[in-house]
Amino acid sequence: MSLTTEHARPSYDPVSLSPLSFWAKSPAEREEDYAVLRRERPVSWHPPAEGSMMPPQEGGGFWAVTRHADIAAVSKDPETFCSGEGIQMEDVPLDILEAVSSFLATDAPRHTKLRKLVSSAFTPKRVKKIEDQIKDQARRLVDHLVETGDCDFVEHVSRRLPQWTIFEMVGVEDQETREIATHAADGMVSWADEDVRAGREPAELLTESLMQLINVALDLAEARRAEPRDDLMTNLVQAEVDGESLTDEEIAAFFCLLSIAGNDTTRNTISSTMRQLTLNPDQRAYLVEDYDARIGTAIDEFVRWATPVMTFRRTATRDTELQGQRIREGDWVVLFYASGNADTEVFDEPGRFDLSRTPNPHIGFGGGGPHYCMGNQLAKAQLRAIFHELLTRAPDIEADEPVYLAGNFMQAIKSMPCRLNLG
Amino acid sequence: MACIKVDYDKCTGLGICESLAPEFFEVSDDGNLTLLEEEAGPDALDDVREAVAGCPTEALSLKE
Repeated sequence: MSLTTEHARPSYDPVSLSPLSFWAKSPAEREEDYAVLRRERPVSWHPPAEGSMMPPQEGGGFWAVTRHADIAAVSKDPETFCSGEGIQMEDVPLDILEAVSSFLATDAPRHTKLRKLVSSAFTPKRVKKIEDQIKDQARRLVDHLVETGDCDFVEHVSRRLPQWTIFEMVGVEDQETREIATHAADGMVSWADEDVRAGREPAELLTESLMQLINVALDLAEARRAEPRDDLMTNLVQAEVDGESLTDEEIAAFFCLLSIAGNDTTRNTISSTMRQLTLNPDQRAYLVEDYDARIGTAIDEFVRWATPVMTFRRTATRDTELQGQRIREGDWVVLFYASGNADTEVFDEPGRFDLSRTPNPHIGFGGGGPHYCMGNQLAKAQLRAIFHELLTRAPDIEADEPVYLAGNFMQAIKSMPCRLNLG
Repeated sequence: MACIKVDYDKCTGLGICESLAPEFFEVSDDGNLTLLEEEAGPDALDDVREAVAGCPTEALSLKE
C-alpha cells in the first residue's frame, strides 16, 4: 500500500492570516481578506502565526474558521473542540497559559465548577445591584472629562470605567494597586506590540506582567483570608472545589483572567463606539432622540462593531470534518469572530453601523457554548451608563483616528484623541 | 400552554433568560438557574420564546 493522502494537509491558503503584516492592517482591510475566505474557503489551513513566542511545531499550522455559522457550531461543541489545550492562536508557554487562563482554558467538568465560583457575581440580579454604582462612577468620570477638556479618550474615559467596575467587584481597593493590575493586565495581551514591549522580548513582557498580577492577587488573597469582605476575592479564598480549597496558583489565575477580561474588552468597546458615533452622526442623533428605548438594541451593534476579542483557539479532540475539510485530532482550530460578525449570510449590510439592527445575533461575546462571556450583562450596564453620561453632558464630543494595538488577539485601541466641542 | 425544559448540564447560569423573561427564570445567588414556572401561557409566550432562543449555551427548550 502506498502512503495514501488520508492525512495529507491541504496547501496553505493564499490568503494568509498568519503574518504580522496581516494583523498590522486596519480592521476594514482585514475584512477584505475575511470576505474572500468566507465566500470561497470558509475553513482554510494556515501556517503557524508569525511572531510566536515559541518555535512553531514542524508542519504545524491552524485551521481558520471564518463563517458565523461554523464559529457558532465549533463553540457549541466543546467535546470535539476543547479549550484545555490552549486558547491563543500562537503557541504560548504552557506555564504562562495555566497561570493566567483559569477556567477560560479549561474543559468540563472542571470548567463548570471553577466558572461557577465567580459566575454568581455576574447574574442579572447582582449586576442590577451594582448598576447604580456604575452610573455614579460614569457620572464622576464625565465630570472629570468635562474639567479636563480635550484629551486622550482611552486614558480619561474608556480605561477608567471598566477598571473601576471589575476591581470594585474583585475587591482591589486602592487606586494605585488598581493601576498596577490594569497595566499588568494590558501587558498580558500586548506581547506583539513593539511600543508596549519597549525593547523586551514577548515572553519577557508576559512574565513581568504576570508576576505583577500574581503579587497583587496573593496580597489580596491574604488580606481576605484574614478579614473576609463581600467581594469576589473573599468568595475565592473561601471556595471549595471537590472538597478542596483553591491553591494560590488557582486564585492568582482567577485574578488574572478577571483583570484581563474585565478591563480590555469593555474598554475597547467604549473606545470603538465613541469613534463610530463620531463617524456616523445620523446614528448618534437617532440614539440620542430616544436613548432609553434604543440603547438596548444599540449596544449589540456597539459590540458587533468592536469585536474586542478577535480570535480564540480550540483544539480538536478527535478526527472530524468541517466544511469538507478533514480535521485531525490535535489540530488547532481558530475562530475569527470579527469575520463572523461581518458575515453577509447573517447580517444585512454588515459594513453599516446600524443602531436599530434587529435581530443582531453577533458573536462579540462568543459563539455560544460553555465559554460564552460571563460578563456580558456587566459590560452592557457599563456601556449604557457611560454613553448616557457622555451624550448628555458632552453631546458633541468627537473622537479622532484611533491607534490600534498590534497583535492577533485583542482588537484594542491604545489611544484616541477626543474633542469635547462644549462651545 | 407551552412547557419549558432546562438542560442543567448545559446551563452555565448566565441569566440572559432572566433578563428577557424574569417571571420564568431566576439565577439564584449560588449561580444556579431556577425555573419559576414550567408552563408559559399565550401572553408570555413571546418573551419565553425569546429567552429560549437567546440562550447561548442552548440549555433551554420549549415544547409547544
